Amino acid sequence: MKPKVIVGVIFIAGFTSLLFYNFGNSISTYMDFAQASTQSNSSNVHVVGDWDNSKPSGFSYKTKTFTFYMKDLKGNEKKVVYPKPEPNNFEQAKRLVVVGQLKDNTFYADEILMKCPSKYNADGSNLKSRGPKKN
Amino acid sequence: MIGQIGKILIISAFVISLAALFTYYKAAKNQLNLKLEKNAHRLFALMGLMVVAVSGLLIYLIFTHQFQYYYVYDHTSLNLQKRYLMAAFYSGQTGSFLLWIMWTALIGWALIKWTDDEFRAPVMLFVTLIEVFLLSMLLGFSIGPVHIGASPFRTLSEAMPNAPFLKAHPDFVPADGNGLNDLLKSPWILIHPPILFFGFAMMTVPFSYAMAALWKRKYTEWIKPVLPWTIGANLCLITAIFLGGYWAYVTLSFGGYWAWDPVENASFVPWLVGVAALHAMLVQRGKDKPKKTSILFSLFTFIAVAYESFLTRSGVLGDSSVHSFVDLGLYDQLVFFLLAVTLVALGMFFYRWKDLPKSDGTSRLLSRDFVVFTGAMVIFLSGLVIILGTSSPVIGKLFVSHPTPPPKSFYNNWTMPLAIAIAILSVIGQYVWWKKYDAESLSEALLGPLVISSILAIATIILGNIHDIAYMIYVFAGYFGVVGNAFIIIRLYKKQPKLIGGAITHIGFAVMLIGILASSAYQTNLLDPETRAYNNAVKHGKVVNKDGTTVMKQVNFFQLDKGQPKKIDKNLTATFVNMKMDNAARPGQQKYTIKFQYKNGKTFLMYPVVYPMLTTSTANKINWSVSPQVKAGLFHDIYLYVGGSSYVQNINDELKNNPKVENVTERVKNAGQNESSTQDNNGKKSDIVSFKFHRGQSKTIDGYTFTFTKFKKASDSELPDSSVIGVHALINIKEDSTGATKSISPLFAVVQKKGKKLSYSPPVALNDWNFAVQFSNVKPMSDEIQLSVSGLKNTAQNDQDAWVVVVAERKPFVSLVWAGIFILMIGFSISILRRWADDKRRTERMKAAKSS
Repeated sequence: MKPKVIVGVIFIAGFTSLLFYNFGNSISTYMDFAQASTQSNSSNVHVVGDWDNSKPSGFSYKTKTFTFYMKDLKGNEKKVVYPKPEPNNFEQAKRLVVVGQLKDNTFYADEILMKCPSKYNADGSNLKSRGPKKN
Repeated sequence: MIGQIGKILIISAFVISLAALFTYYKAAKNQLNLKLEKNAHRLFALMGLMVVAVSGLLIYLIFTHQFQYYYVYDHTSLNLQKRYLMAAFYSGQTGSFLLWIMWTALIGWALIKWTDDEFRAPVMLFVTLIEVFLLSMLLGFSIGPVHIGASPFRTLSEAMPNAPFLKAHPDFVPADGNGLNDLLKSPWILIHPPILFFGFAMMTVPFSYAMAALWKRKYTEWIKPVLPWTIGANLCLITAIFLGGYWAYVTLSFGGYWAWDPVENASFVPWLVGVAALHAMLVQRGKDKPKKTSILFSLFTFIAVAYESFLTRSGVLGDSSVHSFVDLGLYDQLVFFLLAVTLVALGMFFYRWKDLPKSDGTSRLLSRDFVVFTGAMVIFLSGLVIILGTSSPVIGKLFVSHPTPPPKSFYNNWTMPLAIAIAILSVIGQYVWWKKYDAESLSEALLGPLVISSILAIATIILGNIHDIAYMIYVFAGYFGVVGNAFIIIRLYKKQPKLIGGAITHIGFAVMLIGILASSAYQTNLLDPETRAYNNAVKHGKVVNKDGTTVMKQVNFFQLDKGQPKKIDKNLTATFVNMKMDNAARPGQQKYTIKFQYKNGKTFLMYPVVYPMLTTSTANKINWSVSPQVKAGLFHDIYLYVGGSSYVQNINDELKNNPKVENVTERVKNAGQNESSTQDNNGKKSDIVSFKFHRGQSKTIDGYTFTFTKFKKASDSELPDSSVIGVHALINIKEDSTGATKSISPLFAVVQKKGKKLSYSPPVALNDWNFAVQFSNVKPMSDEIQLSVSGLKNTAQNDQDAWVVVVAERKPFVSLVWAGIFILMIGFSISILRRWADDKRRTERMKAAKSS
């Protein structure tokens, strides 16, 4: 029954390569605002940054959005608009990841991931930089 | 002191486990040495008892609030309820390892009791090996720069050696602990983690049996005794997965029962691999032609457990999970654990590769071997797909430098066709399992199920308005899975009712598939007409921001004003009834009552909850968390949570404007009792209560009922100069306790001064009752006036202008998901009983053969 084995092998090989191809396409890389601005047609851009609490932020019932300013790791700042109420833990977050689209100098976030300061690595020194995170 | 004992016990348990390992090896190496084996059992049992003692000590420390210990400090607090103190035992990294070790010891004891002579020692060898690895995670000592394990008995200064304060005061004992994360304070934490870890522990058994089979070259004999264990492990894991999903659904605002979160996947993948292994075993069972696959998949069950433990516990997933993970410095050790398990298992497998009997490879396309094997393979592949997605922080580096997790659609798109294949194979597999078929006779036999499921699928597609071709195929596959297996059950039930376990399990799986599609792809947001119109405008690009940009995002929440019903669906209206404080459950917790009414008059109430997360709040900034509410129904669930409210906003505003250093718990509690009243030096209440009402309406504030009867025009003489307009409002006030009434007619005037319009409204004092009333505003268009009362307690603040922002979703047929899982569990249970009885008969036969 050699042919069956061959069909099986071809199937598995095809499946795996398709899987990896699709996997490679569906993940993206964390980036800064400058890189995100070159990808304005993608709505799955992940930008890492910090909340700028010196600028106004808050939820408006009029526009039904939560708006704040975020500095990316290179220090560029953009307005971020999120179509939901302020997420839990937002102001506690040490670091933010916003997922969405950068368009006309404003980042429209579908999702905000928050990295919270951990009570576990208060000393931080003997632990690795892969920090814990909570949402 | 107790901590020292605990540490010593852990180290002793580790040493004893090594001794047991060595003794098992000696006992099983050559001829069976029963005496040595007994000694090994004793060592294993001793190790188990020590682990139980260690757990007892940790629980004792937790219950006696010994906050000098890091684990106790970090996961508990004085005010934590007893049941959550119990749960704190396993809610941290090290504690959950301890629970896992204890369960594995328990499984070991059961194996010692129930395993035959020929397999007992070699199987226990590998169980002990896993115990050795797990125990090493708790050792907590360093050899030079190498740290081995993290002890649950670390003191604060040991856990945080670089904290300056602790350096100066190494014996410092905090007055209170950090407390348990509020999200975890749910009864589900009492049941979900123990069952999950019991499932992980049971997954040790197929792994150990497969290793023993390889080592002892008993490639066929291991299948029968391992079958009930494997089904048991799968039953246990699916129960845990179900409990976790249900927990997420009803008490966390994740939005559903499944989110492809890495932690969820961490329990799902071992289950898939376990099910694949089970099917591979079934193909091989009772035959002398062994398959390499059953051994390989069994090895992978525990490799999957080890790999997922590495992913979730090492901190590599830090960026991509909603769960909180901590790298306790165990990263390297976890990598070692994973590599060791994998290398030992695969090394053994390939070492025996040549010796493993070859498959004769003659199975026909429609033989039961081939179909069931293909099914196992597809299930295994689904596991691989999910592992790949979950591993994006590691494997994604092949593609990009800082890989993000894949979107949920990656998982959905890949598992959907695999699920369709599994559902169809589950029927064909059952048919060819019980009877021989060729292509022609099989299609004849399947005609009934095909026709019935096609009719059901078409009806569903029309009624459910399904447009997506993939969904159509999926729905058909789901019905085919149910109907085809039901045919088998009917046929089997007459002859051998004990054998229907498999078919029942398959039905459960197929029912679950239908439920998953209905509840996730066809969930809808319930919205009021205003928000619907807004969303519609956004859809057509008609909504523009102040700065000229177009709004692109639709919203999924709406506002309810107190007492004002809103139509949120064709035949459903929602009303915000009231908000009550529920300080007993959690300090500062608010329970909102939302009333729903169907067109036909039927009503129901829902009580979503908002509470302050005290563990992460400060006195000046409160983190609010929500507990959703689910109204479960046969046809659809309504899922609801409060995204914000006037009450929460008032507190937030107050904290912002009025920062105070105060105990946050007290602050939250006080805020709930009397809103914003502050007392001045004379002890007189100095807050002002404002409220609006229409002509003819009444409002009760602090025991006084105000009724607005009518307007009266003001005469020119009482108005100040340059008044534009002036009006009195006639107000009757009744003291509710005595029934005494008074009438007042406060004035409201608008004055023109230097081109500006100012309002003039002198307060009317009611000296007997110690308060004053001011007619502070008027809306001439709607006959609505606003009164401001000073000197009364603000009891109406909650009532007046109160609103909530609500997110409500309708999820159709979530009931089918749960029903499917229950049927799965029943099927697994029937199969366990059957395989268990099978294995018992076999051992009895063997005993009889020996004695004769």
